[in-house]
Amino acid sequence: MSLRTDTGASRRPPFDRLLIANRGEIAVRVARACRELGISPIAVHSDVDADALHVRAADRSERIGPAAAAESYLSIEAILDAARRSGAQAIHPGYGFLSERAEFARAVEAAGIVFVGPPPDALASLGDKLAARRSAAAAGVPIVPGTEVAVTDDLDLVAAVGLPVMLKAAAGGGGRGMRRVDTLDDLPSALATARREAHAAFGDGTVYAERLVSPARHVEVQLLGDRHGRLAVLGERDCSVQRRHQKLVEESPSPAVDEPLREALFDSARRVATTVPFHNAATVEFLVDGDGNHYFLEMNTRLQVEHGVTELVTGLDLVAWQIRVAAGEPIPEELRSAERRGHAIEVRCYAEDPYHGFVPTAGRIGAWRLPDGPGVRVDAGIEGDTDLRPEYDPLLAKLLVWADDRPAALARLRRALDELAIGGLQTDAGFLRWLVDDDAFVSGDYDTSLIETRWHDGPPLTDAEAALAARAALSARLDAPPTTTPRAAPAATPWAEAARRDGLRR
Amino acid sequence: MTDHDVRVGDEAVVPADGWTLAWDDRASGLARLIGPGRSIPVIVEGEGTDWTVTLHGRRIPVTVRSWRERILADAETEARTHSGPTTVAATLPGLVVAVAVAAGEEVAAGTSLLTIEAMKMQNEVRAPRDGTVLEVTVATGDTVATGAPLVRLA
Repeated sequence: MSLRTDTGASRRPPFDRLLIANRGEIAVRVARACRELGISPIAVHSDVDADALHVRAADRSERIGPAAAAESYLSIEAILDAARRSGAQAIHPGYGFLSERAEFARAVEAAGIVFVGPPPDALASLGDKLAARRSAAAAGVPIVPGTEVAVTDDLDLVAAVGLPVMLKAAAGGGGRGMRRVDTLDDLPSALATARREAHAAFGDGTVYAERLVSPARHVEVQLLGDRHGRLAVLGERDCSVQRRHQKLVEESPSPAVDEPLREALFDSARRVATTVPFHNAATVEFLVDGDGNHYFLEMNTRLQVEHGVTELVTGLDLVAWQIRVAAGEPIPEELRSAERRGHAIEVRCYAEDPYHGFVPTAGRIGAWRLPDGPGVRVDAGIEGDTDLRPEYDPLLAKLLVWADDRPAALARLRRALDELAIGGLQTDAGFLRWLVDDDAFVSGDYDTSLIETRWHDGPPLTDAEAALAARAALSARLDAPPTTTPRAAPAATPWAEAARRDGLRR
Repeated sequence: MTDHDVRVGDEAVVPADGWTLAWDDRASGLARLIGPGRSIPVIVEGEGTDWTVTLHGRRIPVTVRSWRERILADAETEARTHSGPTTVAATLPGLVVAVAVAAGEEVAAGTSLLTIEAMKMQNEVRAPRDGTVLEVTVATGDTVATGAPLVRLA
């Protein structure tokens, strides 16, 4: 599972210092790539993150403001100040926060710092999903039938698309501001809600309508471009397991894609990439319907949360390549024809309650045991015995597995999920453990409705599970000394402690 | 037969026979249930009567009471349910984006009291029963944690 990074010791680092304008697992991930490239990683932190994992992964960290993201991780001025103070030559935005804000990319470049991402103009043009739809169609890429213009209160315009429709935010992405509408009666209120949500999330209430594609698979193609006009197509990822139109599980290759469809998707992705002045990592997202037709959804010119899936099947370090490409390095020929091997699956561990509609949970994380062993990778941004900050994304960790084929990858994922233990709050781990035994997921024949149609709020607790839980709690109570000391007395020596732990593990 | 009343949620449950609990780390609750020919990883958190057992990723609330504790608790519940104001609390953390009621207003069960935005989704908080609003303890723009009191109903 070693990543092919081509970072021999003789290679000169592309930068001396790089500032990571993010937090959590992705900031840790970028810091790791920096270290392997010989670059000194600089973190940024809000007041509540001063001791966070991502801060400790870096060589130094700059305070950028209070807990509220708007005044820290979303503050262009604070981040540029931090970059200047620390002498960073480049800024990696990660995903989320400022990663797709053209004005941020512009400000970074104006400050004489390299932005690890696409040219600002690409961000500006792709940020408008409605405009991106029009340019993709002009490039000969199929798009979902829908409105060519924004919908305000012209209901006939939407009706002409054909119900049911999906309302989407033009400034959106990531599933936010999306509303499904089945009947004309529901349309006015759905439109109002979608516009309000879009405005709250993006500061822009522009909404358009697309015909609902159902059943649908969500399949995306990973691209990497350099500053010399070269483009590498690095395979597809299937991201059809979603809640609230947001991804929970990703795999590559897609079980729904055969060779002809794969070629068609790659061809469409290349065409979309020609519509924007683009370099760096990008993802072109498609819906695939039951007949194997594909439709362009959107293009994201940043690192995706699920990039690790592609790294496992290609052996490439995408973050390292983002940084090298940003420094002007050309993409070598062998990378452009990189073959993909085996099967990779990622599951996202969120602080969410899958038994109650995946609502976010909060609190203090207690037990924290991550899986390990052959073919397992964990990208975590937090650790045990810490408070989960309600101000930020509830992603706790990404668990990735790789194996020769899909059945072996599923077996490995099942094993890894049994090793995973997160205490203190409800996570989606219960759903993920159910998923790896679900007939539809195991067969590979599933679509974006899997959670609604098969999970609901999870199966009821069985009598056997209740009896086991009862046994565990009763044993714990009878076992517990009636004192208030929560921790066992320290062992006499570290060796004795290690031996005791070893004995318990057996 | 045990001399304890063990409940999962509200339901009395007979603890599984032939299984014992082995701690991996008592402080954090990491443990295994060891049964006939197999072991299952669990997390056991809590103390006294209130426990949470995480099994296959699901947090299961378990109450373990001696019969004496059970009788006392039942008597207390009985006394509490007779009357008194109800506090409507946040079931998820988020941002209060709209407040639809004010103190003194009569509301019917199901009336929308306020809207909390979490994960960019708007979630309406509704009145659990008919009543009069005694107090609204939050305002638009407040960030609330799970369990935070929002509205008191008489």
